[in-house]
Amino acid sequence: MRVVLAEDLYLLREGLVRLLEAHDCTVVAAVETGPDLLDALLTHRPDVAVVDVRLPPTNTDEGLQAALTARRQVPGLPVLVLSQHVEQLYARELLADGTGGIGYLLKDRVFNADQFLDAVRRVAGGGTAMDPEVIAKLLQQPTRNVPLARLTAREREVLELMAEGRSNAAIGQRLFLSDSAVGKHTASIFGKLDLAPSDDDNRRVLAVLAYLGAG
Amino acid sequence: MIRSYALAPLRCVALALLAVLGCVAMLPLMTAVGAVVTYPYVLQLVRRMAGLSRRLASAWGGVRIDPPYRAGPAPAPARRPDGWYELDGQLYKTQRYPAFFLRMKWLGDDPASARDWTWLVLLAPLGGVVVLLAPALVVAGLLLVASVTAPGRRALAATGLTDLVTWPDVVVPGWAVAAAGVGAVAIGVLAGPALLRLHGRWARVWLGDPYLNWWQRSGIGAWLRRGGHDAWKAALLLGLSLTGFAVFLLTLLLTLVSGGFGIAWLAYAIRPMVNHYRRLCVEWGGGAPLPEPYRQREDVSEPGPDGRYRAGRTLYATRDGARRAGFFPWVLGDPATWRDLAWMATAPLTALPAVVPGALIGIGYFGLFWQVVFWPLWAVPLGLITGWWVSPWYIWQLFTLGMPAADAVPGWVSVPIGLALGLLGVLLARPVLRVITGWARLLLSPSRSARLTERVEHLAQTRRDAVDAQSAELRRIERDLHDGAQARLVAVGLSLGTVEQLMDRDPAAARALLAQARETSAAALAELRDLVRGIHPPVLAERGLADAVRALALDAALPVDVRADLPGQPPSPVATAAYFAVAEALANAARHAQASRVGVDIRHTRGLLRVTVTDDGRGGAEPSYGGGLHGLRRRLATFDGTLALHSPPGGPTVLTLEIPCALSSPRTSTC
Repeated sequence: MRVVLAEDLYLLREGLVRLLEAHDCTVVAAVETGPDLLDALLTHRPDVAVVDVRLPPTNTDEGLQAALTARRQVPGLPVLVLSQHVEQLYARELLADGTGGIGYLLKDRVFNADQFLDAVRRVAGGGTAMDPEVIAKLLQQPTRNVPLARLTAREREVLELMAEGRSNAAIGQRLFLSDSAVGKHTASIFGKLDLAPSDDDNRRVLAVLAYLGAG
Repeated sequence: MIRSYALAPLRCVALALLAVLGCVAMLPLMTAVGAVVTYPYVLQLVRRMAGLSRRLASAWGGVRIDPPYRAGPAPAPARRPDGWYELDGQLYKTQRYPAFFLRMKWLGDDPASARDWTWLVLLAPLGGVVVLLAPALVVAGLLLVASVTAPGRRALAATGLTDLVTWPDVVVPGWAVAAAGVGAVAIGVLAGPALLRLHGRWARVWLGDPYLNWWQRSGIGAWLRRGGHDAWKAALLLGLSLTGFAVFLLTLLLTLVSGGFGIAWLAYAIRPMVNHYRRLCVEWGGGAPLPEPYRQREDVSEPGPDGRYRAGRTLYATRDGARRAGFFPWVLGDPATWRDLAWMATAPLTALPAVVPGALIGIGYFGLFWQVVFWPLWAVPLGLITGWWVSPWYIWQLFTLGMPAADAVPGWVSVPIGLALGLLGVLLARPVLRVITGWARLLLSPSRSARLTERVEHLAQTRRDAVDAQSAELRRIERDLHDGAQARLVAVGLSLGTVEQLMDRDPAAARALLAQARETSAAALAELRDLVRGIHPPVLAERGLADAVRALALDAALPVDVRADLPGQPPSPVATAAYFAVAEALANAARHAQASRVGVDIRHTRGLLRVTVTDDGRGGAEPSYGGGLHGLRRRLATFDGTLALHSPPGGPTVLTLEIPCALSSPRTSTC
């Protein structure tokens, strides 16, 4: 897997390179500024880009903007965005084009190498990886999402994991449920939220997020 | 159909009778209003009578009038735990009195109550006179027809009514008289329903929702009312300035008697009135607020080594003595005192024109115009009973008494003259008020040096506040770091040290410790994240104010509409202050206001960043609630920013904050 990495802190950049190289990834470019990132994304067309939101020279959301610009020119270019903090605003902007291949995680998540690489692979495969904190914030607003109030506690748990981008099998493993039970829950969630069921994991997540975001 | 035409003249008579009844009943009712206990019951009765007029307008005139009354009264206060009932800071033993007062307030505050009165006293009788046209035509027609027949003529002659009228010396054939009589009856009958409808419309103008009639919608009524109020305010200011003038004369007198002491005492004593005048000038004349220009009284200095207190060039044995002695230089050395005196000496001159609009409106409108309206109500019964007929232009005659030239002018001209004079008065009221308040502003506003002193004090205060707030903030951050992230990093270091030792001997335990260290570092990160959010939200640094507020809106518990029109970014501290103000307002809307929607509007016009947060909650928010607003106000004061809270009971609540600032780096916000 060919990876472009953008991170301005030297230690973290080197650490990420080592982590990715150790798990069968080739880091084709490790850059530290926004303009360099855009160049690298457009020249290398990597399988996945791992991008820090805040990059020099302006130290604003330069990484995010570069990633969004690149995705406008190369639709569906898989990008995993890392940040010290998560904002629904950014999650929405990343998901807005609806083509998938998007990840948005807190930097803390790299502590757990397995989970982090799982997310990288999912994004590279065109899926999504949303940080549990984004999902938790969305689900904390029952007054804004009247249909959400109709879900049972268990269905909420399933929806949470589903929105993070996990497959039915992974959800079953997490909640100690059989595949068929998870399937039943998801069907019920789709029914209650008036969403047409679909086999496509990615579309499923987008639909859920779009629905939640509409509040 | 036929029935309604046949009944119409009778109904007209009934309406006229009811109007007279209502008008007559007003006298005892007005007396009863004076006795406080009966006040609500009388107003209730008046409402019933107005309600009857409404019902009749609907049943007979076909004009539906919805009662315009406010909902109420407010629910009586609930019983407190100590068994008392509270209303406006007053405690009552039973619920009866608070309920009574609330009822009184509800009835008295409703402008519809005043309109009900006007209707019953004045407007219903006016309508009654018009509506009587139909039965009058019918009766006159019947009389004409009757006068043609011999028995009818005899009967008429017997009543003696025909002697009252001097018939002109024309011979009219009998058939023409009969035809005219029949015609009059027919017109009377046919006009009946139309007149009833007209009466219904007339009633709707006064008894319906005032905003449904064109008079109120056009704004003419409001304009005239405003002019009248201005004339009244100008007259009040004249009265106050005359008081000031009297004080000035007294000062002169006292100066002769007691020298400068008199000036100091009086000028000091009159300050509350002058301050009141300042407030009225701002409230009525508009414009920037007029702050009190007086100097702060300085404290007596500490005693010298000999234990005595110094005031000026004199030493006093006691603190009180020095304080008393300091009073005179304090008052007399303040330029504001002399400006006050100058104003008192000159104010009546500028306020005298206030007489003009008041007199014009009083004589013209209330005198010359209303004389005609009132005339049928008192002069006609008086004339009928005593046979002494007063002219409808009685006030005009009163004014032109001893002016033979005025006799050449017909009396009715006084009515349009009155209206014109009243209108002139309304037109003049505002300029006159402006002149009065303008003069006061010139003399009563703080002088340049007073303003600068005030400004320096304000800046010193806000700087002190800012420094305090900053040091408190730094202490909080230090404590958070010390107890949180720092302690956790120590724990991580300890764990790693232990792992180093255990790695070879007990790899399983080492692995467990490593996992623990990882968790601790994650917790430390989470704490740092929260801390950073409280100091300066990262999204604000990355995206600027508009997007940071949008991010805030997405995380809020309520649906929030954000509208932002910012061509650039405000300076970072201003943006941070505005951001936290919005955060506080959103939290309050969700916590206290029971709002279902919130709107946030951010714009920058003429060097002012203005943020408005509106919620559709229950309102009634106190500026002091939670104390959060107070902190925000202090924070904004550092930037000369202001925060205004408008929250009438029942909502909506509007929080407006304004900070003067310039925008930098024209980076268009993403909408």
